[in-house]
Parts: sequence; structure tokens; C-alpha cells
Amino acid sequence: MRLLVVEDDPDLNRQIVAALEDAGYAVDRAFDGEEGHFLGDTEPYDAVVLDIGLPKMDGISVLEAWRRDGKAMPVLILTARDRWSDKVQGFDAGADDYVPKPFHMEEILARIRALLRRASGHASSELLCGPVRLDTRSGRVTVDGAGVKLTSHEYRLLSYLMHHQGRVVSRTELVEHLYDQDFDRDSNTIEVFVGRLRKKLGVEVIQTVRGLGYLLSADPA
Amino acid sequence: MSAEAETGVAVPAERAAAPERPKRTASIAARLFGAATLWTAAILLFGGWTLSTYYQRQVERSFDQRLHVYLKTLVAGLADGTFARAEPGSVGEPRFELPLSGWYWQITRLDRDPPETTGSKSLFEEQLPRLQGGTTDGGSAREGYVSGPEDKRLRLVERTIDLGPDGRYLIAIGADSAEIDKDVTDLNFALLVTFLLLGLGLVVTTGFQVGFGLRPLARIRAQLIEIRTGSRARIEGAVPREIAPLAAELNALIDSNRAIVERARTHVGNLAHGLKTPLAVIANEAAAGEGAFAEKVREQAVLMRRQIDHHLERARLSAGVAFAGEATELKPTIEALARTLGKVYRERDLEIVVAAVDDMRVKGEKQDLEEMVGNLVDNACKWARGRVFISAEPVAVAARSGQPAALIRIDDDGPGLDPNEWDEVLGRGRRLDETKPGSGLGLAIVSELAAMYGGTLSLGRAPAGGLRCDLRLPTV
Repeated sequence: MRLLVVEDDPDLNRQIVAALEDAGYAVDRAFDGEEGHFLGDTEPYDAVVLDIGLPKMDGISVLEAWRRDGKAMPVLILTARDRWSDKVQGFDAGADDYVPKPFHMEEILARIRALLRRASGHASSELLCGPVRLDTRSGRVTVDGAGVKLTSHEYRLLSYLMHHQGRVVSRTELVEHLYDQDFDRDSNTIEVFVGRLRKKLGVEVIQTVRGLGYLLSADPA
Repeated sequence: MSAEAETGVAVPAERAAAPERPKRTASIAARLFGAATLWTAAILLFGGWTLSTYYQRQVERSFDQRLHVYLKTLVAGLADGTFARAEPGSVGEPRFELPLSGWYWQITRLDRDPPETTGSKSLFEEQLPRLQGGTTDGGSAREGYVSGPEDKRLRLVERTIDLGPDGRYLIAIGADSAEIDKDVTDLNFALLVTFLLLGLGLVVTTGFQVGFGLRPLARIRAQLIEIRTGSRARIEGAVPREIAPLAAELNALIDSNRAIVERARTHVGNLAHGLKTPLAVIANEAAAGEGAFAEKVREQAVLMRRQIDHHLERARLSAGVAFAGEATELKPTIEALARTLGKVYRERDLEIVVAAVDDMRVKGEKQDLEEMVGNLVDNACKWARGRVFISAEPVAVAARSGQPAALIRIDDDGPGLDPNEWDEVLGRGRRLDETKPGSGLGLAIVSELAAMYGGTLSLGRAPAGGLRCDLRLPTV
């Protein structure tokens, strides 16, 4: 899962990015409205954390511009302005959720989890695929009840596939959603990770669809 | 710990309910009225005096003409010797014969020394005094007033004729001036009555005129009152040329006032942003740390947050109705809030039903209305099991003010509150249940905001068992 954090305060930006990375997401960062708008417009993010009070272009305008251009990714807005009029304005501009400052980091994490889950149409914070179970809250993965230790990249890969199970996910899509923009993208590594993940899970849930990508499914093909 | 107890910043004084009255000088109406009255009185007095004087002249002239007729008779008698030197005969007026009748004639031969004097019988041994001053009518005759027998005022006409060798005579005819005086007095009385009535009429007319002329001012005053109470935004409608600049200046003042309030709000918002972001950094940094220091910072960050929220709320409350010339459409505002809260509580699958009457406008700014309804609906959503019902309808008369009002009712189907808890939740900054998020129920803030706009918040029990909030706000 690849996220974008747009926040002009460098410390807060660092804290949010660190917390999200710890939780297993690939995170890009932007420090002003224009940069944020550009990234959100050109990169396929799974969710965005957007501050409202931004230099160069305020968060509401950024959000409105994205929605005008048909960008539908879930957006969590952050703001110190927590009157109802600000909330109405934010939601009417196309926000999906709202966290007033100051906040606990757990709250951001919980809201992001909920947004991602809702975006992929899952009702519970636990994702299931046959014997594989992924708890998005704790980040734990089990197969038939037994815990599996994954690296953060492996976790991201599994999480993305679990969120989009039943659909063929292309290699390019995986690259775009698993790595932040600074990462050295070599699509070969995806195959390496898929191979490792298959080995660690020990069950055949990830199928390779030749020429198209990967499909996560509980039913063996 | 109560945020109230550690308040170090003075809360701005309560706004006065009615504007302080400036020092009064005489009202414009009184000035116009007074000036018009004085002027009317002066003109009427002058006119009356002129008329009276002119009439008196006329009366005197016609009286004098009568006297001249008698004078001519006497002169003619002297000239043809009809009444020789001693006993002039009748001049055709019986009152000359009656003693001290007030009608006298007297002939004085001036070329004798001492002068010989003959007079009418009515003179009865008295003599007519010589005319002092008096007016000449062009010829040798003179007219004037003298004090005659019995100190009566007489109108006197006298003439000197020179008959050559037959002597030089002074002929005088005197008559009681009472006849003239009576005529003049009658006229003066008539004039007084007429002019008094006329004056009274003019004064009353002036009163109407002043009232009519100043009506635009009264209209502007009424509009200003409406602006102050929030049912109007600006001075509008046709304004007479003379006070148009005043109205324009007032509008400019109202606009600048509004701009100041807006600026103050922006500053408050900026302050919030400026403080809350670093506070978030501190709190997050401390949350990651270990030990007593991190614990202390965490604890203090929570206190700081409460203080900031508390004082921002107070600042917003005091900035709120510094100028309240605004009115807000009720239905769209409620619908937008319901939409927003539907998204906030999407996870809960709540049904938020809005039944609002169209075209209702409540006094006050949109932000404040949103704050009130938003807090109430948010609270209802927090506690509801599945359904929140919002209705808005006009009520005939608000309990206190007697103004038309809107009733915004928010019902939920949650656990509700006991009646003895109602008062408590309306008190400031209390949290009945610490497990629910948010800094208190927010009802206290709503109650304060509502009071600021002359409205009320009351609690009750909803039919579904939850809490019922009745927010009454004055409408436009």
C-alpha cells in the first residue's frame, strides 16, 4: 500500500511518515500544496494524508483539484481548524475522513486502515484468503493459525494482494503501490518477493497469470 | 483538572445589551419646530401690528373727514358772518349742545390781545387746548390727539384762517376718541383671535411637516436596530439625498466592522493552527519516548490542548456577535451537516433523517449555526444505536423575546440521559462519559452560542428513548 503525506511542518511530516512506514506502508512525502497536488495527480496512491493549511496551495484546493480530475483515492484531512464549518467544507470538497490536530498517531493509523479497507470493499479489519489471515490492525499474518514472520516489503506485497484479492494485479501496479518514489524500482525484485512470500506462506494462494500479473485466490486454479 | 480554574487570560467583558446613549443635544425636530414657531410668531406679530396700524389710520382719516365737515361749516359761518363774533349757531350736530358730551368746537380770534374765545355749549366754560405737534393734511388744517375736558382723550382738528381785516381765527373741532378706539380695539381683538388661530394652525402644520420630513431618519434608525438585532445586513432602500452620505458612511462602518470581526476570526484560526501543529509534534514525540520526562510532556500536552480548545472557544464566542447583521438559511445548512456527519460515522451505518421546512432563515452567522447544530447532531450520532432524526420548523413565538423563532429538534435512539443529568451536561466542559471521544458533550458550548443569539437549548427525552435536544433560535 502506497500512501502520500502532505504536511508543511517538517517535524510532523517526519513523525507521520515514520509511523506509517512502521505500520508497513510505502510513503511519499510533500511539504507544500503544489508539490502534494502534483504527486497525487501523477502517482497512484492508495490513500492520502492531507493537511489543510498548506503553503502555495491550500489543502481544500488540492483536494478539489484531484476530485475534479477524477482522482478517487481516499483522502484523510488533517487540520487545526476544527469547527463544523471547516468539516463540512472538507467533506464537501471530497474528503473521506477528518482528524483534528493535535492527534494521537494511533488515530491516524486506525483511520488510514479503515479508509483502505473501505476502498477495497472489506468490512472487517481482518483480511482472509483461505488459510491466510492478515490483521491490518496489528500487522500480524497467520496461516492456519500459525504466525508467519514477514519483512516489511513482503508484508506490503501480501497486504496489497489481500486487499485486491480475486483480481489480477499487474507487476507495474505492484511496483507503483509498494514502493515510495525514491525507491530504486527494479521490477525483477517483485518476482523475488513473490517467490519468498510463497515460500513463507507455504500455501498456494498466489497464482501467476502469465503476461498479466498475479492473482490472489483461495481456490487453486 | 478544570481548564477554567487556571485561566490566566481575562475573558472579554460581556457585551452590553443596548447601545450606550450618546450625549443628547436638542433634537432636530425640536430645532426645526422651535425655529418655525418663532418665525411664524414674528411674522404674525409684525403682520398684525401693520394691519392694526393701517386700520387705525383709516378709521382716524374717516373720523377726521367728519370733523372737517364741521370745521368747514364753522369756517363758512365765520366767513359769511352767519354767527358773527359771539354766538355761532348750530353746526348740525346736537352733541355740540350737550354739556361735556365729548364733542366740542372752539373759535379763537388770534389778532386780539388777549385772544377772544368762543366755544360750543358742550364746552361748558372749559377750553380746548392747542394741538401740540399733530399732522397737517396739506392745507392749514392739523389733526391730532389732545387731552380735553374731564381728561378725556379727544381727536382734535384745527385750522387757522385769515379773514384779512375781519381778523385771524383758530378754529378747532374736538371729538371723543372713544369711537375710534372702540373700532380699533374691536379690530385688534378680531385680529388677535384670527392670528392666534392662524398661528396655531401653522404650528400644527409645522409639526406634521417636521415629522414627515424626518421620517427617513426614523426609518434609518429602525433599520439600524434591525441590523443590531441581526435581521438585516445593511441600510437599504431609497434614502433622501440629504442623508444618503450618512447612510453610505453607516454602511461602510458596518462593512468595516464585519471585516474586523472576520479578521479577528482569521487570527484566531491562525493561532489555532500555529499552536496545534507544534503541539501535535510534541505529543507524538512524547508518545514515542519513555520515562518520567516523556510522561510529564504527555500530560502537559493534554493540558495545553484543553487550554487551547477552551480559550479558542471563548474567543470565538466573544467574536461571535460583535456584529450580527447576518441571517443563515436553515435547511441547506442542516442538510450539509447531516451529509458530513453521515460520512464521519460511515462505519456505524447510522440513518440520519432530516425533515426541515423550506425557506427558513435564522439570525446569525453560518459558522455559528453550523457549530450549534453540528455539535448537537454529532453528540446524537455518538450515542445513537441506529437512527438520528433532525427536524426544523417555525414556532410561533419564542418564550422570552416574543420574536418568531425556529425549533431545531434532534432526537437519537441511544441510551439517553436521566432528567437529573440534563442540567449537568449543560454546564461547561463536563464529560459524563470519558469513554466517548471529544472534549465534553459540546452541549454547553451550544447552549452558550444559542444564548448569544437570543435562543435557548433545552433537553428532553426522545420518543425512541434517547436524548432530545430542542434548539430554539430567532428567525428573520
